[in-house]
Amino acid sequence: MQDYRTLKLLDRFEKVFLSFGIDYKIMRRILQVKLTMDGRRLPTIFSQNAKKKEKDTNNQYIKSLWIYVLFGLFMIPFILMGENYLFQMSLFYGIFTFFIMTSMISDFSSVLLDIRDRNILFPKPVDKRTISTTKMIHIVIYLSFLTIALVGIPLIVGLIKHGFLFFLTTVVTIILIDLFIVVLTALIYLFILRFFDGEKLKDIINYVQIVLSLGIMVGYHLLVRSFEFIDLSISLEPQWWQVFIFPMWYGAMMEVMMNGNAQLFHLLFTLLGILMPLLSIWIYIKLNPAFEQNLQKLSYHGKAKEKRRSQLGQLLLSVICRSHEEQAFFRFASFMMKNERDFKLKVYPSLGFSVVIPLIFIMNGFNTDFDHLSTSKSFLTIYFSLIIIPTILVLLKFSGKYKGAWIYRAAPIKHLKPMFSGTIKAFIFKLYLPVYLLLSVIFIALFGVRILPDLVIVFLNACTYAVICFMILKKSIPFSESFDQYNQNSNGAIIFGLMLFVALFAGLHFVTTLFSYGIYLYLVFAILCLGTIWKLAFNITWDKIHG
Amino acid sequence: MEEEVILTIKDLRKNYGSKAVLNGVSLQVKRGEVIGYIGPNGAGKSTTVKIMLGIEDDYSGEIKIFGHDISDGNIEYKRKIGYVPEIAEVYDNLTGHEYLTFVGELYGLEFDLADYKAKSLMELFGVGEVYHSRIASYSKGMRQKLLIISSLLHNPELLFFDEPINGLDANSVMIFKEIMTQLAAQGKTIFYSSHIMDVVEKISSRIILLHDGKIAADGTFEELKQQNMEGSLEQIFNQLTGFSEHKELGARFVSIVGEM
Repeated sequence: MQDYRTLKLLDRFEKVFLSFGIDYKIMRRILQVKLTMDGRRLPTIFSQNAKKKEKDTNNQYIKSLWIYVLFGLFMIPFILMGENYLFQMSLFYGIFTFFIMTSMISDFSSVLLDIRDRNILFPKPVDKRTISTTKMIHIVIYLSFLTIALVGIPLIVGLIKHGFLFFLTTVVTIILIDLFIVVLTALIYLFILRFFDGEKLKDIINYVQIVLSLGIMVGYHLLVRSFEFIDLSISLEPQWWQVFIFPMWYGAMMEVMMNGNAQLFHLLFTLLGILMPLLSIWIYIKLNPAFEQNLQKLSYHGKAKEKRRSQLGQLLLSVICRSHEEQAFFRFASFMMKNERDFKLKVYPSLGFSVVIPLIFIMNGFNTDFDHLSTSKSFLTIYFSLIIIPTILVLLKFSGKYKGAWIYRAAPIKHLKPMFSGTIKAFIFKLYLPVYLLLSVIFIALFGVRILPDLVIVFLNACTYAVICFMILKKSIPFSESFDQYNQNSNGAIIFGLMLFVALFAGLHFVTTLFSYGIYLYLVFAILCLGTIWKLAFNITWDKIHG
Repeated sequence: MEEEVILTIKDLRKNYGSKAVLNGVSLQVKRGEVIGYIGPNGAGKSTTVKIMLGIEDDYSGEIKIFGHDISDGNIEYKRKIGYVPEIAEVYDNLTGHEYLTFVGELYGLEFDLADYKAKSLMELFGVGEVYHSRIASYSKGMRQKLLIISSLLHNPELLFFDEPINGLDANSVMIFKEIMTQLAAQGKTIFYSSHIMDVVEKISSRIILLHDGKIAADGTFEELKQQNMEGSLEQIFNQLTGFSEHKELGARFVSIVGEM
């Protein structure tokens, strides 16, 4: 196990720790173990395109910091913009808070919520003060890395542009924000654990991870463009609700310090900015024993309420899937998609992305002119939502619990057809349909009801496309392989090739809109196409399965 | 030396919310005893052990280990205790080597000594080849062996084994039983809980049966047999926990299996 520079730095404070009665040697050893484990954990920010390496030497966590450095660069313009500190620094702190908070929840919850500590460390002759100090130092180390990566360069830029006072004030505010975020996160957990059990909390953490991934994917596209929208001359009028946007407290603090703009509103916010972190720490210390108690709930799985199968869902299911076997696989696949957190983390961000991408294209084309929109044909950008289909179909064969797949071999499954058709149907109805419906609502609002037949064609084409992708991609039993295998066999070229089909669908669609009644012909064609291809696609025998 | 008391529990009580788990447990353990601590699921066995190790607090009653009340916050007594938990929770993204040396050092061993002992013990237990692999890749039996080794690295005086042979194969169980016998002969005290009655019957010098948070029986196997007029420990267990419906329940189970 390697020794860390961080720990060597910490060694200088050995005397301080000893004077507080903390067993420094043990604390150092625990930290070393924890840092090693952090290095092996894959940060969420990487989870989209991660190849799992078996090498221990490179610390995944330190590597992930580069992405934060990149996002730090995006924040520089907010510093350079001008001297409207209240506005620009509030935005700056807002982005900072988003990244620190989401990263805190998605990657560091395991530290805050580690119940193994209790079972592994408590029986050993290590006193509780040392354990809790270790936990604290661990969080401080993590947070300093993250903070420095994110705001290090912007701060230096600020130092050059606005001088030393700016630098100093920003450092202080950032430390205050960090403190506030840690305590706020812990308090949120405390709150959730108080009313729900551990599973609920894990779900919530999972959703935050998904939001972080999506935020980063969309962020690339939006951040650069966003500067066009920002109006420098904006002046913020104080509003009572701004009290709740805590990055603004610190923006106000900057305004007071740098511009000497000591309005009552600014002073109030500054005061809040200093008092609230301190107050929240006090609350946290008061509640910490309760927190530790509630942590026990993480391992406790409360009685979940029995969910009744709704009559309507049952009816729909029997319409979608004829045979009982197919229904069973449909249900199984939808449960897996709904419940498996690894799967959701990989798939949901792309789903979200596929909602956003058509809208970005529309925005690109119609920056100035919204009047033309309702008569134009740019609703065809909805086809961009199809490009996620092959990616997700590839992912369907993976599962974090892939070992459970022995059941497929053990069970008497004669025909593979219901298995594949059921799973594909589950994908279309449970994952793609919500995206499609959401987009349809937005598009109808933008383009009017006239595009309704077009939207129907899009859905039919999406189904056809999914089946084509299924036919061309390597066939594997759903949920039967480890995510570690992902990306190791290069599907990239095939997926790219498959995307050309989307262009074909969209192109045909465009051509048919040129004739009157063209789309109705296309509609009939699409139905026939789907019907034929669906019949052909699923006749698969066991020996065609790889693995 | 013969009669040295290692562990005293007086009127131990513990609640989870409104539910009482331990209802006044009192017992005394002398040096060199091998205690089989048995009872149905949820009787409070693991809870007793966890309280003694300081994993759980908020109890009432008095616990003295090595003549020292554990509630005063002094943790020195833990240096002489080894513990195998019921659920194999470990930092499993570490390798066996990393985890065991870490645990050894927590008990105050030098790194090199801990490494040497851990490696030798792993080899003797037949899992030497995975010493440098991540624990996450271990089988259930390997994990269990790792836990047993981690509890013995620092040569403790008092051992708490909670379901220690979970997942071990028959040969490993034999090695483990031999280890227990030899440790007991050296004067170590072992507190042992299991659901496998034959093993408990053979290796325990004293058996304590816990039922509904209270001690239902306490004595050597011979004594229990005399008191209860039953042949095997399994039968005594059934009798003392008031369980006699296994035939009827089994029959009902099978009849539902047969329904189509």
